[in-house]
Amino acid sequence: MKKRPTVGEILQAKGVSRRGFLKYCATTASILALPPAMIPRIAEAIENARRPSVIWLSFQECTGCTESLTRSASPTVEGLIFDAISLDYHHTLQAAAGDQAEAARHAAMEENDGQYLVLVDGSIPLGNPGFSTIAGISNVDMLKETVAGAAAVVAIGSCAAFGGIPGADPNPTGAVSVMDLVTDKPVINVPGCPPIPMVMTAVLTQFLTFGQLPELDKHGRPLAFYGQTIHDRCYRRPFYEQGKFAETFDDEGARAGWCLYKLGCKGPTTYNACATAKWNSGTSFPIEAGHPCLGCSEPNFWDGGGFYEPLSTGRFDSGAKLAGAAGIGVALGVAAAAAGRSKQAKFTKEG
Amino acid sequence: MDLLAFAKGPALQVAAYIFVAGTIWRIVGIVLLKEKVDYSEPRKSAGLMAALKVIYTRSFTASPFKRATLYPKMLAYVQHLGLFAVIFLFVPHIMFFKGFLGFDWPGLPNNIIYLLGVASVVASIALLVRRLTSPVLKLISNFDDYFSWFVTVLPLVTGLMIPVRMGLRYEDILAVHVLSVVLLMIWFPFGKLGHAFLVFVTRGTTGMVFERRGAKT
Amino acid sequence: MTTVDGRHELDREAERLAYKPPEIRHDKQGDMASEERINQAMHHFVKNFNTQTASYLDGCLHCGMCADACHFHVRTDDPRYTPIWKIELFKRTYKRQVGPFAFFYRLLGLKRHVSIEDLEEWQHLLYDSCTVCGRCSLVCPMGIDIAGLVSMARHGMFKAGLVPHELHETAKTSAETGSPLGITPEKFEERVEWMADEHDVEIPMNVEQADVLAVMSSIEINKYPQSIAATAKILNAAGESWTFRTDGFEATNFGMLSGNAEWQKKASMKLIDAAVKIGAKTLVLPECGHAYMALRWMGANMYGKPLPFKVMHISEYLADALNTGKIKVKKVDKSLTYHDPCQVSRRGGATQAARDVIKHLGVDFREMEYGGDYNWCCGGGGGVITIKRADPLRHRVFKLKMDQVEKTEADELVSSCANCRQSFDDSQQHFNWDYTMGSLMEMVAENLEEGNS
Repeated sequence: MKKRPTVGEILQAKGVSRRGFLKYCATTASILALPPAMIPRIAEAIENARRPSVIWLSFQECTGCTESLTRSASPTVEGLIFDAISLDYHHTLQAAAGDQAEAARHAAMEENDGQYLVLVDGSIPLGNPGFSTIAGISNVDMLKETVAGAAAVVAIGSCAAFGGIPGADPNPTGAVSVMDLVTDKPVINVPGCPPIPMVMTAVLTQFLTFGQLPELDKHGRPLAFYGQTIHDRCYRRPFYEQGKFAETFDDEGARAGWCLYKLGCKGPTTYNACATAKWNSGTSFPIEAGHPCLGCSEPNFWDGGGFYEPLSTGRFDSGAKLAGAAGIGVALGVAAAAAGRSKQAKFTKEG
Repeated sequence: MDLLAFAKGPALQVAAYIFVAGTIWRIVGIVLLKEKVDYSEPRKSAGLMAALKVIYTRSFTASPFKRATLYPKMLAYVQHLGLFAVIFLFVPHIMFFKGFLGFDWPGLPNNIIYLLGVASVVASIALLVRRLTSPVLKLISNFDDYFSWFVTVLPLVTGLMIPVRMGLRYEDILAVHVLSVVLLMIWFPFGKLGHAFLVFVTRGTTGMVFERRGAKT
Repeated sequence: MTTVDGRHELDREAERLAYKPPEIRHDKQGDMASEERINQAMHHFVKNFNTQTASYLDGCLHCGMCADACHFHVRTDDPRYTPIWKIELFKRTYKRQVGPFAFFYRLLGLKRHVSIEDLEEWQHLLYDSCTVCGRCSLVCPMGIDIAGLVSMARHGMFKAGLVPHELHETAKTSAETGSPLGITPEKFEERVEWMADEHDVEIPMNVEQADVLAVMSSIEINKYPQSIAATAKILNAAGESWTFRTDGFEATNFGMLSGNAEWQKKASMKLIDAAVKIGAKTLVLPECGHAYMALRWMGANMYGKPLPFKVMHISEYLADALNTGKIKVKKVDKSLTYHDPCQVSRRGGATQAARDVIKHLGVDFREMEYGGDYNWCCGGGGGVITIKRADPLRHRVFKLKMDQVEKTEADELVSSCANCRQSFDDSQQHFNWDYTMGSLMEMVAENLEEGNS
């Protein structure tokens, strides 16, 4: 077996300066809320890590997650880290297809048995396995097969983590999430539609550094990035408390950058790093751009109330049913009054 | 379905049905009882205007009774007005109403609402203490009094816990808050909280009868 | 030498050191079984329920403000005298039998059954400690007419045979003889003749046709017969065509006070029939409080249709006669305060009439603190003065009146209700008080301008 170069050797070969590399490690440590003392540990871990084998499976997805992760404004060290892993299989990015590609996948699985990472984006249809296939293999079969020898599985994006848009009502393909199917291997969910690139790489970096899974919340999401709500970190929060809300997208309040609660912002119930890490290397995030948070890193966010429906809106049934309840009330009232009156008549007759 | 989705969805729906059905049941059950006919010659004509007059004036205690009743009356006003402000002038609540009414209205800044909410809770506690210690109230109070107190104060307290958080997750406290409102809505038509709609009948009918006699209302 | 036997409590609250009276008796009429009594009480309370009364029982907030308005509670601090508590047993029954959720109350056994011991205790609450004065009804933030509910509760108590003996006997006498004090038509005629003679005044009796039917109360006929003469003087001075009638002269209504609906109707109908018989245009009621409530506001409902004549309290008649100049009075150079009878002023709506009369009398009028519509009750109304065992309580409550009157420092004290007068007289004697209650009507009669009578 060919000895793989370490990540450090690769970075050196690519001309990444030591300073630049350490800067990346420092940023990563800070995002992970690790003390500065950890920086050398991160550096050492990455430097000496054998390029881990990563198999990326894309199922019912829109490719947005891959786009987010791979499309950077300018080449960044995050991008280089990606080069530093051995991405042995990726539908969208790889040139090969068909039998050859599948053979490459099997080879990677055998060579790194028990040590490779499986990254998944997109949901898996169970309604009819034929709804989504790759090289004639159904998603569910490919997942089962690939995960068997994996060290861990990372579900990238809300589709893989929670079912996402295919899983939204009425879920015609019977889409399920990775954690619904994988129960015997550690699963990390990195949801978002798409997830923030920096979050993705930091999770990988943490795994590389410590060789173990980060601390996860009740939805299997790394607490480091999904431990606080957008609401609690939103720069517009003072406006929320002061009662200054944008009523429409183009009114004075909107232009003044006021809170978007009334326009449907799901910030209070959404856990993600958007308000702090932001997007495009810290450029902005939806709320800052004037659009309410969709709650895209939460399970079933597509069915959780309209995007422009305020969070506090009740999910009521049709008015017809309520009218029915009113009718029942009238009937019961009439019955009660009739019973009461007849009791009174009885007592009057008794004399 | 997580707790918040359950609370905002099926739980709230069922609460709405029970609230509507129960309230109408109670009102209809009372209104359809015998009607009292009065053949006496009225001193004054007394129709809807008399009813409305007393509905308004009975909100204020007549001066001979003011001193004796000032303390509980003040507490009750703080409690009620605080509740009113919190329910109807807090923007997220206004959005809730907009969801089924179709229109909204201006609200107060959140910090003021929190203050009024705290005032309402404090007044409620003071009222409870009074109910537990005054000889008159100790004698006449029953389960309805205490339970109605509880289901009214619980949404206030759980609502105030949302900004205060105390280490709990937003969606969890919000779910508990919504469920406490569900409990309130379900109990509302059946216990003494029904005074919210019965007050119009009691004050109104008294107004009409006494105004008709030209008697003090 | 007496031995203190320890069975009786020392009453430290009394005005003078005393031992508390022994165990109160629970009066019962007839020999019904307890269970039967309970049923009768409950059924006859709820049978006349309507929207108004149902909303009252459903709407109570247990706020306790009614206690602060009730003279019995204010003077004793006994929480059982809380007005709405007097209705408690009946509230339970309403919710079990007639209320909108009655079915469920019964199904789930949500309200405690009423026991005979409960009803016995409640006899005291409903009769001994309530004058149906209506102050509680004024303070209630929900606008509940608690006093009216007490009257309804008494219907139940009567049918259950749970009325205080004295009140029951008085009501029975009233139903049998037409007068609570047993004054027969012959006796009445005798008294009228005597007064006509004694006071040298023309008093028409049993005239076939008249515009005005005048009636009296037994209290006046018996204790203050000069009222008969005073009434006559006034009506004569006003030039009315009027008469007394032996077939309808009793204004009091002990059926109403004790809670017997049939007797109430019987008493009212006597007056109504007499008035109709003579084609009266006006029926003038005497100085009596509950008589006004009974006929002015409840009479037509006994009759089943609007009355074909006007009903006026004597104070209203006087106000009208003075305002229109039918009669004139001399000025009285005294300071005066007025005690409003609950049933005429607060409950009846005729508060202003007495004040018009007082204005014409030209006195230095001093309103009592909480006078007029908010006046403290004399404590003797609603039948309470007939109940001997309630005397200590009634006297205790009367202190409010004494303070109220004394604060005005007025020379004269008058009212327009013979029952109030009786209550004041009794308490005046008990306390050795220096105010004597006078009659507004007698004051007018005494000061009629010459050339009028």
